[in-house]
Amino acid sequence: MLWIAIRMLTGDAQKFYGLVFGIAFSTLLITQQLTIFVNLIERGASGVYNVSSADIWVMDPVSRTTDVAYAMPSTALDKVRSVPGVEWAVPHIRAQASVRTKDGDLEGVAVIGVDDATLIGLPKRMLEGSTDVLSQPDSVIIDDVGTTRMFPGQSPIGERLELNDQRAVIRGIADAIPSFTSTVVLYTKYSQALNYVPGTRNRLSFVLVGAENPLEAKALSERIERETGLKAQTRDEFAQDGVQFIIENTGIPLNFGITVMLGFIVGVAIVGLTFSLFIRDNIKQFGALKAIGVTNSKIRRMVAVQAGLVGLTGYGLGVLGTVFFIWGFSGDPTFKGFYIPWQIPLISALAVAVILALTGWLALRNVLKTEPASVFR
Amino acid sequence: MGKSMDTTAIGGCNPEAAICTRGVTRDFEAGQQTITVLHGIDLDVRAGELTFLVGESGSGKTTLISIMCGILWPTLGEVKVFGTDIYDLGDTDLVEFRLQNIGFIFQQYNLIPSIDAANNAAVPLIAQGMDRLEAREKAVGMLEKLNIGDQAGKLPSQLSGGQQQRVAIARALVHEPRLVVCDEPTAALDASSGRRVMDLLRDVAVAEDRACIIVTHDNRIFDLADRILVLEDGRITHDGKDMPEGH
Amino acid sequence: MALDWKNLSFSRQILPAIALLGLLAAVLFIFVGLPDRNLTEPDREPPRAPAELAAQARVAGAGVVEPSSETIQIGSALSGLITGLFVQPGDRVTEGQVLFTVDDRAVRAQLREANAAIAEARASIAEARSAQATAAQQLALYRNVDDPAAVSRAEVIRAEGEAAAARERLSLAQARLQAAQARAGSAQTEIARLTVRAPIAGEILAVNIRKGEYVSTMGGSGSQPFIEMGQTQPLHVRIDIDEEQAPRVALGAPATVSPRGASDRRVEAEFVRAEPLVVPKRSLTNSAAERVDVRVLQVIYELPETNGLFRVGQQVDAYIAAKGAEE
Repeated sequence: MLWIAIRMLTGDAQKFYGLVFGIAFSTLLITQQLTIFVNLIERGASGVYNVSSADIWVMDPVSRTTDVAYAMPSTALDKVRSVPGVEWAVPHIRAQASVRTKDGDLEGVAVIGVDDATLIGLPKRMLEGSTDVLSQPDSVIIDDVGTTRMFPGQSPIGERLELNDQRAVIRGIADAIPSFTSTVVLYTKYSQALNYVPGTRNRLSFVLVGAENPLEAKALSERIERETGLKAQTRDEFAQDGVQFIIENTGIPLNFGITVMLGFIVGVAIVGLTFSLFIRDNIKQFGALKAIGVTNSKIRRMVAVQAGLVGLTGYGLGVLGTVFFIWGFSGDPTFKGFYIPWQIPLISALAVAVILALTGWLALRNVLKTEPASVFR
Repeated sequence: MGKSMDTTAIGGCNPEAAICTRGVTRDFEAGQQTITVLHGIDLDVRAGELTFLVGESGSGKTTLISIMCGILWPTLGEVKVFGTDIYDLGDTDLVEFRLQNIGFIFQQYNLIPSIDAANNAAVPLIAQGMDRLEAREKAVGMLEKLNIGDQAGKLPSQLSGGQQQRVAIARALVHEPRLVVCDEPTAALDASSGRRVMDLLRDVAVAEDRACIIVTHDNRIFDLADRILVLEDGRITHDGKDMPEGH
Repeated sequence: MALDWKNLSFSRQILPAIALLGLLAAVLFIFVGLPDRNLTEPDREPPRAPAELAAQARVAGAGVVEPSSETIQIGSALSGLITGLFVQPGDRVTEGQVLFTVDDRAVRAQLREANAAIAEARASIAEARSAQATAAQQLALYRNVDDPAAVSRAEVIRAEGEAAAARERLSLAQARLQAAQARAGSAQTEIARLTVRAPIAGEILAVNIRKGEYVSTMGGSGSQPFIEMGQTQPLHVRIDIDEEQAPRVALGAPATVSPRGASDRRVEAEFVRAEPLVVPKRSLTNSAAERVDVRVLQVIYELPETNGLFRVGQQVDAYIAAKGAEE
């Protein structure tokens, strides 16, 4: 009977494609918009995720994100090192600066100073050059998105910049996830960064901490807070802080929420209408089947299989569409590092299931209500 | 909806009868008032006969036939099909009973447009749970008996009205039911095709242990009946080999 | 569903198959594309707390390596051109060894002048003595003549005068001799002062002067010291402890010290003393802007012999047990 159900469904090509399109469109809209949404707000955490080795970030109690940070006295580093359970701690400076390019233009950049000795704080991978170039005088490493912004269509290696009246030579390109604002990022040594950033007395933005036992990072961060009076966040907490900051300070969640809702509603509308039409067209056949001797539960199963086929096909195509979208735009710097979190296809699958359950249930009500006796009228 | 009522008051069924109704009454609610469509029908249908159920529209023949084949609950009364009190069965058992024992030929055929003739004919077997290819094979055999074996692979929309009718007949007979119910089989056909269909039905449907009820008001075919029951205003007013005068 | 390739239906078979394959591809894409957010170990070893302090109360600090004598900045007492430079950085010197000499020609000329004056004074003394002797003999001769007529009174007086004058000349010449000798001594002292010697035994750490350069008593150009030296056996390390942490330090306990950039090579340093004066933290970060809001306790530790791992002026990271840890 299920075979017949599928035949019935696909027999009406128009409605079948209508249904598949509806589901595919809904899936595409929901998945793609959620993906872009998640990736966009996770840009708020890119500063944290670019540093691959720090378990805990220690900062001034008023600091909020990697970009909204208040500097600490340099001895904060030693205080943090004094806390039991801290395996290592290194200084980290993040600051805004203006850079003068060769053409004389001003460009706002983020200067990130990493620990001189260990270079902890650099992104994990380099696109060009090695991290060792920082040992040369006046060296900076630029991030790849910054390259496309400041030096479109040319190699930035060897370019000279002027930062706070100091010379800076770009000697490498880092492979990093851009920040929310896609600011150009220049990585340099901590000691060098102090020269590049116009000075205030305190400049240490963060202390990056490696925990003796990374699994107990949370407990350690609490101990650091207790013993030093500074604010300590585990990597995930701090990433979450960055995301939260974007959510609280932009209209992005609302906008995307509306689009996702629209996707859902469009899906319900298209699929619901088409499915109802399909069932109504076939109500006589269903009635005949009921008279011949097909139980309601079998009818339910038939409709479920029909919904399942539509759902699977439409969902598959929709997800495929999203994948093509993300893949197609992966070369664009705006979409750099975009990925599809595995939860999102599950969410859209759930949405598809809800759409189909809702519309299937509505359509089934008609079928189940049909008196088999109606076939004689 | 009532289950079987007190039957002793009406009298028992003849165990020979294929279908036996006792005191079958059916009311319909129409707004505030209740319309009684059937008034205590007592009827025995014998196997091996082509039984015609004749009546004007509104006479209650559709209701009666629905009740007799187990798809409409009577308000009162009892229906036995080959000895089984069908309204004593549970919902699911009743559906199963229909599936095993009753073949339907609908006026509008109600074929599934997206599957071919053989598969349409095989639907009852498939519903019984038979393997699809095996069921199809049997259905093709039945179509051959009905002389449209060469149309087995065509979709209903590619068939003429008469051919669709034959597919519908094949579907009604493919699982060898003991009761065949046929609703206005000739209404959509011209006189000669109608007679051919009736001849066919007589050939394939009438069997020793099979009852065949045909609901019709087509007077062109009354002469083919073994027994004609006339229903008027919910009562059987005539029961005989020929139509009474005046009809 | 039996597959009949001739009757393959697009909507029933191919499309769902595409959708399924698409789903598989999507799953693959999604899991391959998930961002790599794994924590990694740092490429280079960061300074870590020593194992025995890992789980205990401890105090961390940063410091600078210095000679046990602290750095001695050698100056010059006199100005002048450098005529001889006898050491180079890394040389070990003994106490009193000549480091460099400053042009002494002027002073030597003075010395020669003084020596000439001495000779001259000595000649004068001899001359005065002989004149005195002559005068004395003549006077004695006159005194032995009894005949008053034989020697006139005037002759006697003249002889007496000559004898007195000769005496005077002698004492004058003697005085001149002393003066010349003093001048010579003074010139000699100057010559000694133009030779700069090592005040203690130790190692030459930096030489900022070259032969022919002019040194002034005011110090070198750019206020660099001419020569820096110090006792580098043993080396000391001066650890800055944040004043808030200072009360926790277990004074007397050894410190675990590692140089910047080689933090896997740790040594244990013996406590020497804590400076009695808490001072503003000196920036160790090469920043031009001094930070004066933080004060630090400086604790001195003695480094063991490590064969060149530590050098004077190097920055180190140190971990010291806190007071609680000893109990």
